[in-house]
Amino acid sequence: MALSTKSFEIFCGTGGVGKTTLAAARALQLASASKKVLLITIDPAKRLKDLLNLSGDVAGEVVPVELNGIKLHALLMSPEKTINRMALVYHTPDLASNKIVQILSRPYGGMNEILSMIEVQMQFDSGNFDVIVLDTPPGAHFLDFLESLNKIKSFFDQSFIEIFSYLGQKTAKAGKKVFGVAFINRFISGGVRKLLGYLQTVTGSKFIDDFIEAIQIIYQSREAFVKGLALQDKLKAREQCNWFLVTSVEQGKAEEAIELRSHATHFIHQDHFLVLNKCLEIELSSWNPKDENLGIIKKSLEEKEKTLKLHLKDVFPVVLEFPEIMSLSPLDHIQHLTKKWNEYVLQN
Amino acid sequence: MEQTRRLYIITGKGGVGKTTLSKAFARFLVEHDHEAAYVTFQHHSLGETHYGSKEKTVNGIREIHLDLEDAARGYIEKKLNSKLIAGWIVKTPFFRALINMVPGFSYLIYLGKILEMQQQDPRLIIVLDAPASGHALTMVESTTNFKQIFESGIIFEDTGKMLSLLNNPNYTRIHIISLPSLMSWQEALELRSGIKERTPVSADITVNNCLFPLVEDRLEDLPPGLREKALNEKKLVDTNQDQMLCVLSHSLGQDSNSVESDLVGSLSNLI
Repeated sequence: MALSTKSFEIFCGTGGVGKTTLAAARALQLASASKKVLLITIDPAKRLKDLLNLSGDVAGEVVPVELNGIKLHALLMSPEKTINRMALVYHTPDLASNKIVQILSRPYGGMNEILSMIEVQMQFDSGNFDVIVLDTPPGAHFLDFLESLNKIKSFFDQSFIEIFSYLGQKTAKAGKKVFGVAFINRFISGGVRKLLGYLQTVTGSKFIDDFIEAIQIIYQSREAFVKGLALQDKLKAREQCNWFLVTSVEQGKAEEAIELRSHATHFIHQDHFLVLNKCLEIELSSWNPKDENLGIIKKSLEEKEKTLKLHLKDVFPVVLEFPEIMSLSPLDHIQHLTKKWNEYVLQN
Repeated sequence: MEQTRRLYIITGKGGVGKTTLSKAFARFLVEHDHEAAYVTFQHHSLGETHYGSKEKTVNGIREIHLDLEDAARGYIEKKLNSKLIAGWIVKTPFFRALINMVPGFSYLIYLGKILEMQQQDPRLIIVLDAPASGHALTMVESTTNFKQIFESGIIFEDTGKMLSLLNNPNYTRIHIISLPSLMSWQEALELRSGIKERTPVSADITVNNCLFPLVEDRLEDLPPGLREKALNEKKLVDTNQDQMLCVLSHSLGQDSNSVESDLVGSLSNLI
């Protein structure tokens, strides 16, 4: 299977395996082939942030990066900035000033996954880039990330039409006025009203008011969310998207990678690559241990890696191996890995 | 021996050995005559399938896998005094969409469940195999965020009670697990300062899976790359030892069970 360039590349994996560094190296390799590349990342280590020009107050901004004379752009996800951009692009200023939306779009408010999908779509719509390389959150959170599109869909689903269409009409007529529970109760029949009534017992009525205001504002901005859904088709289209599942030899995480893939089958298409990082095989093969104790260590390390590879090659159509880089400098890591990416591209 | 806490939260990047270490620590506590359980949760959203909370005993240690739907229903049932209404609420598309759209909610529900289990069983110590790094901050922050969102009502009061336990250094302790590489170590430091900004409970770093203690006196016999790896590890540990709670060796065990057994004896500092 060829490692061809597509407009979207998505890196997912078990975490702590060098996923972000590998994604950055791939972005650099693509940029060196004269592509206009945007690297979107969620939570990189500080040293990698420094290297990618993402330190300081630039979270949420598209910043230019130059590494070894190669130019690309990078974006560190900031839920707050994404919300602001949505408010601007879709002319819904209330979205950025609602209290609930604000609290939840704090850096660790939990909305990162959903908002990065919308951010990716907005960046595609900007038309500024040939390729977007997306570094996703680690482990099972990557599934949250994939499911986020379905979550948006269900949020704007049938069950909401009643409340939304009502709120939508009223909003159109009365401007930005917010309606209280009592008022809404008169108009909304059945399930939702009953539910809000029960919820009020537990949450207090202030929350219900705030909540309805938030829903109303999100409803005004539904275009932004609904447009984000277009990304789902892109994810499934072979000719538009490369999938890289990253794992490392270190902890023998094969099972987790396999499990991730099996959970992601709804989203993933056949063109996916397993990226196995931190391989010691070459290093170990040149070593002749002097005695039995060292022999045990060598054998333990070798066996772990061998078993892992056999297992993975059984399950994944293509396994791309990357060696462990011993250097302490993240720039060295990126350079070595970029070279390796280039080798894989040239093999085709 | 130091006084035990009630809740140990084990976090760190994925792939650093959190699960094995959490289980080993629960086993350590049980072997020292404490009533302890390993707790984890998997699902952050309410899907089609209802998995249900599960409990099993492995090598004499309780392993509890919490389910979001069960925990949410249990809470609402208690507050509204009706199993029927609680069952109906958690099944409504509205409620499910709300929980799924706002992932921080699930952490609030899980933490509530954990503290409730401890209220019912005042001796129970819980070792929580928590989500990785950034999501750990979301979890730590969820109580504060939702307290601000609710402002009043029963949930507001309950969230306040949760917050006072989670922020009580005698009740809760956080352990961050790191690998002995510079990148992993710096991420652990960042996570620790992130946690310190959000809660006064102690958060300490344990470095796992160190190769150098195994080969320290044989460095000249290693191939150059492996030697550099071991030396880098040693340098990292020597320079930052005062900030490391515990340094654990690489285990030669070939499966997680034997790795776990290897670890049990080295975890007394985590108490």
